[in-house]
Amino acid sequence: MVELGDKAREEFFSEAQEIIEQLSRSLLSLDAAERGGKSDPSLINEAFRAVHTLKGLAGLFGASRMGQLSHELEDILDDLRLGRLALSARVLDLLFAAVETYGQVLSAEREQSLESLPGLDELLERVRGVRQAPAATSHPIAEYELDPGVLAVLTEYEEHRLRSSVEHGLGLFRLRVEFDLATIDKALEDIKQRGKAHGEIITYLPTGEASRPDTIELDLLMASTDTLTTLRASLADDHVTIDEVPRRRIATSVTIPPEEARSEEGLARARSEAVRSEISQEPVEPGGGALDASLRSVTQTVRVDIRKLDHLMNIVGELAIVRGAVARTAERLRAEGQRQLASELARLHRTFDRRLSEMQEGILEVRMVPLGQVFDRLARVVRQISREVGKEIRLVITGAETEIDKLIVEELSDPLMHMIRNAIDHGIEGTLQRESVGKPAAGTIALNAYQKGNHVMIEIEDDGAGVDDVALVRRAVEGGKLDPAEVGDLSRDEILGLMFLPGVSTREEAGDLSGRGVGMDVVKTNISKLGGVIDVQSEMGIGTKMTITLPITLAIVSALVIRVGVQVFAIPLSSVSEAIAFEEAHVRVVDTREVMTLRGRTLPLCRLRQLFQLPDERQGRGFVVVTEVGSRRLGLVVDHLVGQQDIVIKALGESLARVRGIAGATEMEDQKVALVLDTAALMEEVLVGLEARELSERREDRRWAR
Amino acid sequence: MGQMTARRSAQLAEAAERGLVHEYLAFVLAGELYAVDLARVREILSPPPITLVPRAGREVLGVCSVRGLLVTVVDLRLRLRLPAAPVTRRSRILLALANSGEVVGLMVDEVKQVVRLAESELELAQGVLGGDVAEHVMGIARPAGAVLVLLDLGAIVSGAARG
Repeated sequence: MVELGDKAREEFFSEAQEIIEQLSRSLLSLDAAERGGKSDPSLINEAFRAVHTLKGLAGLFGASRMGQLSHELEDILDDLRLGRLALSARVLDLLFAAVETYGQVLSAEREQSLESLPGLDELLERVRGVRQAPAATSHPIAEYELDPGVLAVLTEYEEHRLRSSVEHGLGLFRLRVEFDLATIDKALEDIKQRGKAHGEIITYLPTGEASRPDTIELDLLMASTDTLTTLRASLADDHVTIDEVPRRRIATSVTIPPEEARSEEGLARARSEAVRSEISQEPVEPGGGALDASLRSVTQTVRVDIRKLDHLMNIVGELAIVRGAVARTAERLRAEGQRQLASELARLHRTFDRRLSEMQEGILEVRMVPLGQVFDRLARVVRQISREVGKEIRLVITGAETEIDKLIVEELSDPLMHMIRNAIDHGIEGTLQRESVGKPAAGTIALNAYQKGNHVMIEIEDDGAGVDDVALVRRAVEGGKLDPAEVGDLSRDEILGLMFLPGVSTREEAGDLSGRGVGMDVVKTNISKLGGVIDVQSEMGIGTKMTITLPITLAIVSALVIRVGVQVFAIPLSSVSEAIAFEEAHVRVVDTREVMTLRGRTLPLCRLRQLFQLPDERQGRGFVVVTEVGSRRLGLVVDHLVGQQDIVIKALGESLARVRGIAGATEMEDQKVALVLDTAALMEEVLVGLEARELSERREDRRWAR
Repeated sequence: MGQMTARRSAQLAEAAERGLVHEYLAFVLAGELYAVDLARVREILSPPPITLVPRAGREVLGVCSVRGLLVTVVDLRLRLRLPAAPVTRRSRILLALANSGEVVGLMVDEVKQVVRLAESELELAQGVLGGDVAEHVMGIARPAGAVLVLLDLGAIVSGAARG
């Protein structure tokens, strides 16, 4: 095996990832088509090609487990493609499971871990199980008076298409076409195109009976639902004659061998075929076209490490400073009376300014990826969960093309998945219950995304039972999260907000799905980390709608700029709920900790000056910035509120990476740098207790005393 | 830093032909002359506004922005356990590349000039200096009568980056 550089390996991983996502999309479409009673051979072909490419990639990079998995899947897909295996729900489940397994295999390869993957072994076992029980096939082609010479030269794929067409009751026609040798390529393509409207051209062979030396005669074998008259009217001309391939006897309805009919698979197949036979086959183009298209699309995109984009963004920052210098030079020229030079320079400055803004937008745009990436994964999850819990779910996705920062998309997957699990598990009622209240048996989950100004909104809406206020309040009280005396004062919104308290949304008896330990509190924390917020609306008996508001990019966030003494800090607005005037007199001490009461709730306080040991040069009486991350609240005592501002957060260098409570820094207009507070870390630190803090500070001191 | 003698010029020219001449940047710290490998220094800055970082190490002066790049500024006096001194008009920041790839700023009292030294002019420093400076010293050179302490910049900034 050739040693490959890290860069080549990275390329391999991202390419493999892309192909796996493509495979997943083909499977989802295939699943949808099957449910709709349509079978689309081109989708199986697509999946086959994806797996085939993965196999090639795996070989190239010595990823043997990926190669093994691809090899087995390729066999299954080949069987499906050639009709040797029926596309049953079981086989689809297996293919979806394979997509997940690819993910595991890929991360194992990435970590270069050689540990065995139980998921992979299990899947390979299942693959073999499925392949050992191939569907029985009949040979209705024999009913047609086809030239044995033609049958002998059919490829396996063509034979399958022929058999499948016949099984679905399509008629077979022979088109004898005379082509001019000079224009045969174009003419053949032309007739194929025209033929598509009526059916599928399965194969073509030269007859060897051309009337003139500069022509060639081909027999085209076509399957169609149309009658001979219709076909003749539409396709026949001087060079084209059409005949029906006669049958030896009248074909009977689809026959299923008894051993197959007994199995569930056979029944499913019989059912779907019964539907399919009424629907005309989508014409397929074997080989060529689609493959070329996919190769082209690969060459039109490049993969870029996001750090390179950050670097470009920094250069834009440098250019912005040059821009400022140019403007100042123009001013100076004007002051010195060089009016003409000054106005020329001012004009250049304006052009420069405009182009620079375009460049900044362009770079931000490159970071954007469609949400469809994560939605596809969710569609797979919905399918899997709905089968696990035995609820029928219809997932309706809109706005998959909405774009958002690549880094956000990566982090969105888990919270969204958990919310969807919640909606299916707790939201959507069982079929019987739904029917008893007059709702359609299948529950609907709508996943909507759209852009709103500088934010992206994602809505997850179900038509389930809605949130049970009483149960929610009871769980919050039982968990000690809510004082029973306060219950009466809570508004509907406040009650719904209780689900984000730790331990409240995790139902003990749910066990299987949503009860897997992750509660809505974790979901909210993860969304907060991305600078997002969640809102809940719920109507008993009608459904629940969760709305996530996210910044469009992590590169720019809205922040509240505050001051403590001369030191300026920025607090991401996503974690700020309000700011109020600070009254020393309102401070109480509970358990050595300063707190105040805000609208009936206790708010722990943290004086930033003390926490950061800043010099005491306080002016004014100060403000309390109320921060909220998940269910935790903390009031930060500061001197001044400077205002709200959009900032670009940059990471501190490695030498300061371990400084707690600081998420990064941002450049302010005056070339000064302001530190950005990490509110989640501050809460962790302040609220978890003084003891732990003192310990770690002692450790910190030792480190520096070295 | 003094004029070179003809002998020294000849020596340098000869060494240059054998590729053994290195360029060093000389600067002042607490009244002494120090020098670092010029190839490690990306830029010399007049100190921009520096933002204090609470809870950072004692020798970290803070962070500043160099045309959009955030740079941690370390006080080289404190790093070498020399007595602290306020920033003056002559103070400069050397932007140096740490082994990790991070660019670290080192505050020095004053920057002098670039010195070309042949390898043969370097003296090993063992036993010459004591204390915390010793572990960062590569050697000593005496071009034209001055005493120049050559510091291992890689070790200094990487140490700062480990901080």
